Amino acid sequence: MRLDYPANVKIIRVPCTGKVDVLHLMRAIQRGADGVYVVGCLEGSCHYKEGNLRARERVMHVQQLLQEIGLEGDRVRMYNLSSGEGPTFAAYAREMTEHIKALGPNPLKKWATA
Amino acid sequence: MGSASGKISGSVMVVGAGIAGMQASLDLANSDYYVHLVDKLPTIGGMMARLDKTFPTNDCAM
Amino acid sequence: MISPKLVEVGRHLNINIITNSEIKTVEGEPGNFTVTLSNHPRYIDPVKCTGCGECAKHCPVTAVNRYNKGLDDRRATFIEYPQAVPLAFGIDTDTCIGCGLCENVCIARAIQYDETERESRVTVGSIILAPGSMGYDPSKLDFWGYGKYANVLTSEEFERILSASGPYFGHLSRPLDREEPKKIAWIQCVGSRDTNRCGNGYCSSVCCMYAIKEAMIAKEHAHGELDCAIFNMDIRSFGKDYEKYYLRAKDKDGVRFLKARIHTITEIPETGDLQVWYIDETGQRQDEIFSMVVLSVGLQIPENVADVARNLGVELNKYRFVETGPFTPVETSRPGIFTCGVFQGPKDIPSSVTEASAAACLAGADLAVSRGMDTPTVQVTEQQDVSGESPRIGVFVCNCGINIGGIVDVPAVQNYSATLPNVVYTDQNLFTCSQDTQDKIKEKIIEHKLNRVVVASCSPKTHEQMFMETLEACGLNRYLFEMANIRNQNSWIHSKTPAIATQKAKDLVRMAVARASTLRPLAEKVISVNKQALVIGGGVAGMNAALGLAKQAFRVFLLEKETELGGLSRKLHHTIEGGDIQAYLKQLVADVRKNELIDVVTGARVTNFSGYKGNFKTDVVAGPANTKLTIEHGVIIVATGANEYIPTEYLYGQDPRVVTQLQLGDRLEEIGVSDLSTVVMIQCVGSRNSTNENCSRICCQNAIKNALIIKKADPAIQVYILYRDIRTYGLMEDYYTEARNLGVIFIRFDETNPPEVKSTPEGLIVSVTDHILRMPLEIQTELLALSAGVTAADTGSLCGIMKFNRNPEGFFIEAHVKLRPVDMPGDGIFLCGTAHAPKLISETIAQAQAAASRATTFLSKSEIKLSAITAKVDTEHCVKCLTCVRSCPFGVPVFNTEKQIIEIDEATCHGCGVCAAICPRRTIQLSFYEDDQLNCKIDALLAGGM
Repeated sequence: MRLDYPANVKIIRVPCTGKVDVLHLMRAIQRGADGVYVVGCLEGSCHYKEGNLRARERVMHVQQLLQEIGLEGDRVRMYNLSSGEGPTFAAYAREMTEHIKALGPNPLKKWATA
Repeated sequence: MGSASGKISGSVMVVGAGIAGMQASLDLANSDYYVHLVDKLPTIGGMMARLDKTFPTNDCAM
Repeated sequence: MISPKLVEVGRHLNINIITNSEIKTVEGEPGNFTVTLSNHPRYIDPVKCTGCGECAKHCPVTAVNRYNKGLDDRRATFIEYPQAVPLAFGIDTDTCIGCGLCENVCIARAIQYDETERESRVTVGSIILAPGSMGYDPSKLDFWGYGKYANVLTSEEFERILSASGPYFGHLSRPLDREEPKKIAWIQCVGSRDTNRCGNGYCSSVCCMYAIKEAMIAKEHAHGELDCAIFNMDIRSFGKDYEKYYLRAKDKDGVRFLKARIHTITEIPETGDLQVWYIDETGQRQDEIFSMVVLSVGLQIPENVADVARNLGVELNKYRFVETGPFTPVETSRPGIFTCGVFQGPKDIPSSVTEASAAACLAGADLAVSRGMDTPTVQVTEQQDVSGESPRIGVFVCNCGINIGGIVDVPAVQNYSATLPNVVYTDQNLFTCSQDTQDKIKEKIIEHKLNRVVVASCSPKTHEQMFMETLEACGLNRYLFEMANIRNQNSWIHSKTPAIATQKAKDLVRMAVARASTLRPLAEKVISVNKQALVIGGGVAGMNAALGLAKQAFRVFLLEKETELGGLSRKLHHTIEGGDIQAYLKQLVADVRKNELIDVVTGARVTNFSGYKGNFKTDVVAGPANTKLTIEHGVIIVATGANEYIPTEYLYGQDPRVVTQLQLGDRLEEIGVSDLSTVVMIQCVGSRNSTNENCSRICCQNAIKNALIIKKADPAIQVYILYRDIRTYGLMEDYYTEARNLGVIFIRFDETNPPEVKSTPEGLIVSVTDHILRMPLEIQTELLALSAGVTAADTGSLCGIMKFNRNPEGFFIEAHVKLRPVDMPGDGIFLCGTAHAPKLISETIAQAQAAASRATTFLSKSEIKLSAITAKVDTEHCVKCLTCVRSCPFGVPVFNTEKQIIEIDEATCHGCGVCAAICPRRTIQLSFYEDDQLNCKIDALLAGGM
């Protein structure tokens, strides 16, 4: 559909958001990503039944961990949409980018090892 | 079995490539028959590809 | 939902897609037909076209977008939608001005203006007609205001408005002023159930449900309060779980349902709002103002489709649907030609999919001796062992014509990729997906001893499989491949900022190369398939499934718990069309009994079960002597049937004058009607109530069938049917009309105010509040027939052993409500008949044939290749905490008490990775998505200093 969304969004493919681990999300933040978001199927229509619900729990867990170490938990988010909703995908990408811009850079970036 | 000529084809023609024609084609193709799937439009998918969501789960049709 | 199927059809080696074509003539006989097709020109060669879209971008001509039902525009050079298969453009010559611009910009040289109408011939053994239907065109009837008032739309148009890919990008707006509507009315039965104005006497079967859906989705899309009203005669939510959906819309989402007949719709010129004039149930004239009106148009077979069928000698009924018999639901009048979907009769998607498989079963059965004769054989190249080698990565960067190359600096990306670790070869291609590029990639793999390949081009969704096959063809394991999507995720969306797009392309390539270095060859386990089938249940469903498989030359074990075959159908006499069920059953049992490939096991009980797709093992105890037998089989078909509900309502069991519809059927058969003067029937007994929310689907037609038998035997007998909604869907509507014409009296009652029955020596007194008269009525009758619903058979112990899932009502759960209505969630297990949900005998036969077809897709192979993307346990470090056992949505990981280890069966693992993500000791890895294989992408991305 060639819908414009910010170029700072880069996608890493997983078979199901249920595969997305707390460690993957934390690693991204640790290595200096300003924000990470997980995009899964709509709740109730996970191809693997409930992977997206687990992903949401993990995202919430990571949000809590980030807050505990003094970062904004909201740097990590979960979004849901169906595969036919290109415009919604683009809208979420813009929303997340705006949101992260408002938060400013990830303070861990200066220590990032990578 | 056996027609007058004794020759039985291993191919099937499916006319219409909506969800019904596609499913019939896939079953036959996966059962090792060769399928000619004919549609009058330039694209397969039929009416279902023109729907937004589907009942009773409200899943996206596309 | 449909797009993976589009891709599967598009890529299948055994399917030849012929677009822009119509069938002209069929000569020959079953098994050997010669079909003549007219091939209309597309003007763009679909083989050469890469779907890049440059032609449409430059096309100066605006045309009406048929895909969005004319609500927006497209170019004269067009593709219907982004997921289209084949992914090739075409030229609409009705609007094309022949300027030649597209030819100039097409780098693939796919434009062929001089293409002409052709004719081609194909030899096939069977033909399936599935041309589908069109929405009824309401512009013929001016009182709807369609075509006159901008805010009166058809349901098909409204569907596009709701769609995110539609003309308004999913924003709920009305066409006149693009304002968001505050009130929407749906008008049901436009072009259906209407013999007077449009001649379509049938019910289109799907409009009630799609109207409910559209109302619910519209409410979701609305920013403020949205009032949705559905004007209807009856709400026909008769499918599996459809009643629950209707209740959700009515009770939770606040969709209004009004029983009414619409008189006219007029526009209020100042606002564009619409005044809907209607007659309510009490006969009062009412009106209400809406911001938008949606006409729920019925399904109709276009005249030109009907002409084609008639030319082939296929008989159609008066509504242009294919004439089929109650016991031969997918067979046309011409042998060797089958039908399915809406051309057979109005129906929803699951029923269409089911019938499609049924048609495939019969079309294939006739050709079983020639199975595999026409299909291409795939050459398997022996795989080289690269496990000891260090990574040697080749990177192929695609220009995609100018789709990527026009924005991204492809040479810069290529040069950059050459600097990345382990990259030993780089190249760029005009179209990496073209056949000559595949040959070139193969050459380079061999020449440079590449053992990993990265293609930077488009989406893995459409192209990964093809590139993986290219790797395989030169002996490289298919899983040593990675794609960087620098088109769909980059050049297409950052087309205005080439420098940024080039930088992002480099980032994506760096990530892909990093991952490629970590990839390992994966073996796809091959398992053998036992070519025998087990069918559980010897009713009409089980017997048809068994025969369907036997016709494809597979051995079948047919288990029946009773001593006789036939199930519930032994109690049935005639279908509503008049089909003699007992005669049919007798023939069916005889066919099954004499078929050498079918072993009938009666008095059977399953005692033990194990295995997985292709290799099941079931222990059975059978017969009066409790004979034990063990059956090894590759597939299972479950056809355990259902029963008539035994009522506790309306004095049933207390007064012998109260009977069920089945008992009434027996009585009409045995003693006739001569002693009757009045018969009352009550609908929805044991259905649509708090204990069973669902509609039992078959009771309305059953009541009308018996009412017609009575009225035809003696018109003087008074027959009353007390109902909530009459659900004679599809062509059965004609029988409802006939019953009204013959004087059957239909009285609607409200669920909250059901009829009451009193027993007196003179007769039963049935009291009901008439909705039209709004007053209580008392009817004295000598016979009360209860339309008792359908209850699932008791399959508790079977499910305990075989681990099948049932819904709260006890019916088995299918793998997918819409697209896999005959498959059970476990691979190799299929479902048919009333064990799935209440259904008619014709629908049962279709689903049984469908189950046989689905099973044949397994049994026709000697072996099944399993996906290599499965979870693997490191048993040495596993602490057996059982978290994976608890978390797997499919119950795959098990604790082997003997070996004291967790085992994950490759044959049943779905590859979702939930267990891998949740394992606290990180001892589970999902192949192809191992932690390192994801982490390296994160690291590579951020190494670029994001």
